[in-house]
Amino acid sequence: MESMSERSGGFSFDNVARNHVLEEKGMKMPKAAKTGTTIVGVVYKDGVVLGADTRATSETTVFEKYCEKIHYIAPNIYCCGAGTAADTEHTTAMIASKLELHRLDTGRQSRVTTCLTMLKRHLFQYQGHVSAALVLGGVDLHGPHLYTVYPHGSTDALPFVTMGSGSLAAMAVFESKYKDDMTLEEGKQIVYEAISAGIYNDMGSGGNVNLCVITKDKTEMLKGYAKENMRPWRKSTPYTFPKTEVLTSKIDKPRTDISVVVESEKMEVSAS
Amino acid sequence: MSGDGCVAIASDTRLGQQYQTIAMDVPRMFKMHDRLFLGLTGLYTDTQTLYNLFKFKLSMYKMREGREISPETFANLVSSTLYEKRFGPYFTEPIVVGLDKDNKPYLCGMDLLGALACEPDFVTLGTSTEMLLGACETFYRENMNEDQLFEVVSQTLMMATDRDCLSGWGGVVHIISKEGITTKTIKTRQD
Amino acid sequence: MGESDYSFSLTTFSPSGKLTQIEYALNAVAAGATSLGIKASNGIVLATEKRMSSALMDETTLQKVALVTENVGMVYSGMGPDSRVLIRKARKNAQTYYQTYRESIPVSQVVRQIASVMQEYTQSGGVRPFGVSLLVAGYDYEGPHLYQVDPSGSYFAWKASAIGKNMVNAKTFLEKRYSDDIELEDAIHTSILTLKEGFEGQVTANNIELGVVGDDKVFRVLSAAEIKDYLGEVE
Repeated sequence: MESMSERSGGFSFDNVARNHVLEEKGMKMPKAAKTGTTIVGVVYKDGVVLGADTRATSETTVFEKYCEKIHYIAPNIYCCGAGTAADTEHTTAMIASKLELHRLDTGRQSRVTTCLTMLKRHLFQYQGHVSAALVLGGVDLHGPHLYTVYPHGSTDALPFVTMGSGSLAAMAVFESKYKDDMTLEEGKQIVYEAISAGIYNDMGSGGNVNLCVITKDKTEMLKGYAKENMRPWRKSTPYTFPKTEVLTSKIDKPRTDISVVVESEKMEVSAS
Repeated sequence: MSGDGCVAIASDTRLGQQYQTIAMDVPRMFKMHDRLFLGLTGLYTDTQTLYNLFKFKLSMYKMREGREISPETFANLVSSTLYEKRFGPYFTEPIVVGLDKDNKPYLCGMDLLGALACEPDFVTLGTSTEMLLGACETFYRENMNEDQLFEVVSQTLMMATDRDCLSGWGGVVHIISKEGITTKTIKTRQD
Repeated sequence: MGESDYSFSLTTFSPSGKLTQIEYALNAVAAGATSLGIKASNGIVLATEKRMSSALMDETTLQKVALVTENVGMVYSGMGPDSRVLIRKARKNAQTYYQTYRESIPVSQVVRQIASVMQEYTQSGGVRPFGVSLLVAGYDYEGPHLYQVDPSGSYFAWKASAIGKNMVNAKTFLEKRYSDDIELEDAIHTSILTLKEGFEGQVTANNIELGVVGDDKVFRVLSAAEIKDYLGEVE
């Protein structure tokens, strides 16, 4: 009944042996969705700008056109994720949860380096099998921070970073245009250009540009900062089909004849 | 696929082992409550296991909290349940469709590890997902009423399964609206 | 044998059907500093005394009203260390709930889970019951809720309640003052006035504590400066 019980945390390896046998017998495992992705971050004068494209892929098919890859970690920390979509989503959510507990215990703002350490420990523990490549950015009492985290748990701290399949295209933009102490507008512009380079040059990236600006006092999500790749049009008039041949049809109405009466009588007398 | 105050989920009914057809009346879409359906593509043993698991989890949820789960919350429950088995996943790709408390359609697809892909218009999964995607991109329009939605969904399903030799052999369409659930079986080619 | 002869074991009923250890736990609560909660139409206030055993203690470091999640807070009467165990478990449960459903935990579920922990400690070997009663307040999808949880693990929803040393008087006071359409600001004033009843010495911004949640669904522990303002208003 283990699987019937409530979530207890940690992974379950129940199906591993079974899946191994199934695959030996020729059963193909469905492919996991990847984010493909261009994600970047840059430190500017007053904080950090994070950027991401919005394409998720399953093999070469676009799985989701406008997905969100900038994940919440803490009010002052956000994290862009590339790699297996489920891994980036759940890893960042787990760390966000742990940091919230930590904040409740300490009553202090989370630090970016705490988050970084928790992430790299988790990823290193799973030896790269949790395939999350992350760009972590935030501002804490020590100022702005920007890191990349690789799936095996190694990390970098740099003033501008890129990750994902479009990282080379994006890095080319940073290498040619980055300068120290940029203004907010310059910061947003360079991130937009870097993500665009990924969107147009890397097939694994596409869709819109999402930005996130973190400063000492506030965090601003700019979803759809650039929307250059929306579906251009949809046929306005309906298509007409020959009527579909219906074999059976039934309507299942929600039951409205039952109403719940709550007994307000006390069931037990409080011990107090 | 979403409509105006209604949402549809459809699938074929074939169960096969590679090219061998085993059954042609197999439901892959399950009513979780009056306004929520779960579709489970992939390995049929996992379809059954997961359906039973979620039926159990929803019963527990309902008794504990005294309310029906919202589609979005249910999608997240499915997602976290799948991710728990990250390294030994179920061979399934679920779809969650339903109406929320304001009768707004909610639809969401997932990969086998529980990566959510929530779309405002349509989601497709399974063996003919690419072909379904193409047909949906063409035929979908915003704010369809129940009848229009039914026509588009069933035509889309038939077109796509026609070009997928592993799908077909009948189809079922469920349309959820605030009036109830309309279930229609449609005639498709039987080859 | 008298009632007390059955207190050797936590899990042994006395002939009259009482578990004396639980009664004693309630005595521990009744000896603790008074806490109270009032549910208003648009929010809830929790209030408590911070009793210092010595004037030399630094009361600014003590916080009795604790957050469970963003929209749920709690306060205890009784043994402080015991309450911390429950708060830790409640917070962890709330996070687990959020991880599973991506939806913040309803107040009723927070309370149900804490209460089942407390019940477990009345029926397990090698443990003693918690020496605390809790007031749990939160604002969720259904609106504001106020619950009281006792060491036995029983819990009830209240419009207004008090626990701790002065609870009988405080409850009488609240019964007189309470109305169903009370607004949050009025509830805060009433909570201070209730605390003042039977308070030993002068109420200051540093020897009481207030926690408030409104329809913005954010539970906040008020700062000493804010409490001072409210004290000025009820003068």
